[in-house]
Amino acid sequence: MKKVLFAIAFAFFALTGYQAFAQEPELSPERKQAIDSLALEKVRDLSKYIKLIGSKNTPWSEANRVIDRAEELFAPDAEIGVSSLAKKNIEYFKVRPYLERLMRLNYDRVEIDWYKIQYVSDLQRQPDGTYVGVITIFQTFKGYDAEGRLVYQDTTKKDITVYVKRKETQIGGRLIGFWDVLLGDMRVKETTIK
Amino acid sequence: MNKILKIIVPVFALALCFNVDAQVLGNLGDVEMDERALYTMTKQMGQFINRFNYEEDQYGKKLNQNDASFRNPDKRKDVLPLLFDLENPRTSGALRDFFVEDLIKNNQFMEFLGGDWYSEVSAKFKWKGKDVDVSIILALEEEGLGSKWVITNVFFSEFQKYFPQGELAEREKHFLHPMSHELDFMNIYKVFSDKQIVEYYASTDYQPDYLTLFFYEIKQGNLVFERVDSVKFHVFQIKNWYFEVSWFNRDGYNSGWLISNLFYLKDEEKASLIKLYQPKK
Repeated sequence: MKKVLFAIAFAFFALTGYQAFAQEPELSPERKQAIDSLALEKVRDLSKYIKLIGSKNTPWSEANRVIDRAEELFAPDAEIGVSSLAKKNIEYFKVRPYLERLMRLNYDRVEIDWYKIQYVSDLQRQPDGTYVGVITIFQTFKGYDAEGRLVYQDTTKKDITVYVKRKETQIGGRLIGFWDVLLGDMRVKETTIK
Repeated sequence: MNKILKIIVPVFALALCFNVDAQVLGNLGDVEMDERALYTMTKQMGQFINRFNYEEDQYGKKLNQNDASFRNPDKRKDVLPLLFDLENPRTSGALRDFFVEDLIKNNQFMEFLGGDWYSEVSAKFKWKGKDVDVSIILALEEEGLGSKWVITNVFFSEFQKYFPQGELAEREKHFLHPMSHELDFMNIYKVFSDKQIVEYYASTDYQPDYLTLFFYEIKQGNLVFERVDSVKFHVFQIKNWYFEVSWFNRDGYNSGWLISNLFYLKDEEKASLIKLYQPKK
């Protein structure tokens, strides 16, 4: 239901706002806020997918389908840079290998939870006019062995790039403008919080 | 003791607010966890700027410019001390209080595209086969419809070694006399006879361009990027002040991007320092 509301709200923004946008490229605070919500919706989808992919209860074929959905959230060249407290060197992954690695983790049971907190940066424009922002979220990960013992846990800060671009599509002969939101590079950094 | 209390009380008050708020407004996660440390953490440099200016409330919600709280001096005065590394005496004492007072009194703010702030990326490279540290300085530059980070300088000890300052008396011994042209510069061979001091024959205001050397070494394949070790920011935007912002990954209510160094610096003195970060300014 929430998703439908977002879709309607954005169709409204797109239809009413396009003319104004063509003449006035700066985003109003209200529109920025609406775009933030759309970007957050993508990040929420990603967090749901990560939980499903990591869960040992998700059948292999289903997890692969979820990886497809998760991959669609990202720009094609997006990368994931991972570091831990022990290994500060950033390890780079493409989106799919990163998610597949999560699916194959060698624990008998995995718990992935997301903190409720999120932080959405201001949107800035890059030289080509695309808006870019960063959403920060936090995840806790717990891995258990066959005896149910907790063998690994961490809390990671995930800083996710968000690209927001004005696009147009033709519907019934009319040119309709809409905001396209894609996730970009993601930096995953372990924090000291347990 | 009074000073310590002045800091500790707002930190805990803030932490308590965050706890309540997490339960009311939270919507990403579904598990109850103590999130106070994450709320107090200054999570992004952008959040540092928003908190520094008091352009977002204590819950991280952006304030509209028409909102009475937007850049509110009283609220700003409460939040500013929390943006310092409280474990460092240099950034948690009288100097900090003086700085905060100055910011409030003179209504000074930090602007994302306001210039005079730099990012320093400490990176590891391989140079001729061995591991070396290079600091890459970047600044925001406006271009086209927006902006981008551009490299303005590098600090690499091996480059600095090539251009030692040298004694003035020694430098003054090396020159081409003003009538050299009449002799078809037959004496110019002296310039190249001692390669260590070749630059003594350049103009008095000559400054080596380390960035060009850096690009040259990269293109030659002598310098190969390995990894980023850390990032910090140098801010010269505030009149008569310089401060450094670093990332503190630690427990408690004083973490994230925080002021790690602070200097009272007259604007006249700043110019020469800024030249180190952006020589072609």
